[in-house]
Amino acid sequence: MRAILRHRLGAASVTFLLLVALLAVVGPWVAPYDPLAQNQDALLQGPSAAHWLGTDNLGRDELSRLLAGSRLSLLAALEAVLVGLVLGTVPGLLSVYLGRVFEWTTLRVMDAFVTLPFLVFAVAMTALLGNGLTQAMLAVGILVSPAFYRVTRAAAFPVAGAQYVEAARLTGAPAWFVLRRHVWPKVLPAVAVTTAATLGSSLVIVSSLTFLGIGIQPPEPTWGGMLATSLEYLFQRPTAPLVPALLVILTVGACNGLADALRDVTGSREARRVAA
Amino acid sequence: MVSLGRREILHEVDLTVRPGEIVGLIGETGSGKTTLARSLLGLNRIERGSARVAGVDVAGLRGRALREFRRAGAVQYVFQDPLQSLDPDLPVGRSVGEAWEVRGAADVAGRVAEALVRVGLDPDLAARLPSEVSGGQRQRAAIARAMITSPRLLLCDEPVSALDASSRTAVLELLLDLRSSVGQLFISHDLGSVAGVTDRIAVLYQGRIVEEGPTAQVIGEPQHPYTHLLVGSAPTLGGESMSRHDRAALRAQL
Repeated sequence: MRAILRHRLGAASVTFLLLVALLAVVGPWVAPYDPLAQNQDALLQGPSAAHWLGTDNLGRDELSRLLAGSRLSLLAALEAVLVGLVLGTVPGLLSVYLGRVFEWTTLRVMDAFVTLPFLVFAVAMTALLGNGLTQAMLAVGILVSPAFYRVTRAAAFPVAGAQYVEAARLTGAPAWFVLRRHVWPKVLPAVAVTTAATLGSSLVIVSSLTFLGIGIQPPEPTWGGMLATSLEYLFQRPTAPLVPALLVILTVGACNGLADALRDVTGSREARRVAA
Repeated sequence: MVSLGRREILHEVDLTVRPGEIVGLIGETGSGKTTLARSLLGLNRIERGSARVAGVDVAGLRGRALREFRRAGAVQYVFQDPLQSLDPDLPVGRSVGEAWEVRGAADVAGRVAEALVRVGLDPDLAARLPSEVSGGQRQRAAIARAMITSPRLLLCDEPVSALDASSRTAVLELLLDLRSSVGQLFISHDLGSVAGVTDRIAVLYQGRIVEEGPTAQVIGEPQHPYTHLLVGSAPTLGGESMSRHDRAALRAQL
């Protein structure tokens, strides 16, 4: 963590993400208005002292919706990443240890996931399991899992054959001990980089799905949903999409920045080790 | 018999290492030295025959039984390159004490300190990373890791070939010091090192032991052409190693 904070881009990304996290935690409480409350007398208003970011087509306060929407948007992205992390990392690690049948099977399953058209799969999943946040994020998680699988496998493969792993096996250590002690710490940096990068892309996916009406349902506020609504009234309020779009762009950028910093920090550690 | 894939690596190998004895196993690269050692640990499957260590036939062990056998620590392995055999991210002490951690034993730190002292290292070295200590110290730590379970048989696979001359001598002296407490199989293609520490030598050629006997006899009066070739090819300071012509003649007899 210290190394990341010493990294300029890493420090900026962490700071921004902490702010977004803070927004997600306290946002709903500090929102000046009820994010769902409609006001027919204040439709599509521009920024003012009463409504800092203006109002939407139903007279709802944009700032309140943005603050309240942070939590749902981030939680949805985190849920997708978590599903992808579990579905990708666990079989990725095990594929190195559980023999050729498991390896072949998981490789083919992951290849199949990669070939699935994203939107069609998300629509099919929500049609099958019902249109809800969990179902949509399950679909997103499944589709991002190959990234975790490949990265984990690539990082675990050289470690699995390392002499110190063999030395540990010769002590009679069970597989879980070897994985926890020797393999996972080597795989973790690569997984952390992928997690940060996937968090950014998941946020975009959540926003895109909400934009299409999949996942989080109106009137619940989300960044993607607000973007979709504001684009419908672009003629009346041309500046309305700016803030939610900027928030999505900056958060995704911060996630990618964090991923870059993690890569730089763990990469330089590895380089130092090789040099030694 | 031991095979790797479809290739038969070891056959008709009959070798005994008694307690307190250091037996050298020599042979060229690919002759099956490491495969033999790995077979004794259950890392390579023995298809025919048996390998008894401390009364247990390793050839018959699978899965849980093999893990239990390894956990008992009756046979231990010292790798060629200590930098690769110690986890680069863990302090040396964590690697040395791993066998006891796996057993869930108490006072692992105390046992590690004891093991490090036994191989002539400062116990404070336990807190340092492998990259922070010298090659000789790393190999001593690797030997400490092997000795921490008080094994009956120590398999040393080219334990000094990655070391500089002074570290090599120190490690060889250490192995001699440990002789009284453990039988050792010393695998090497460096005849000088083998001759310096072993009581007996077995010569492995194409997966078969072609000659075995007391070290002085095998080195001084080699019987098999391959042993003769090995001994004659060993570089000497006097520059009296066998001529190319003689080596070719011996090769022709194999």
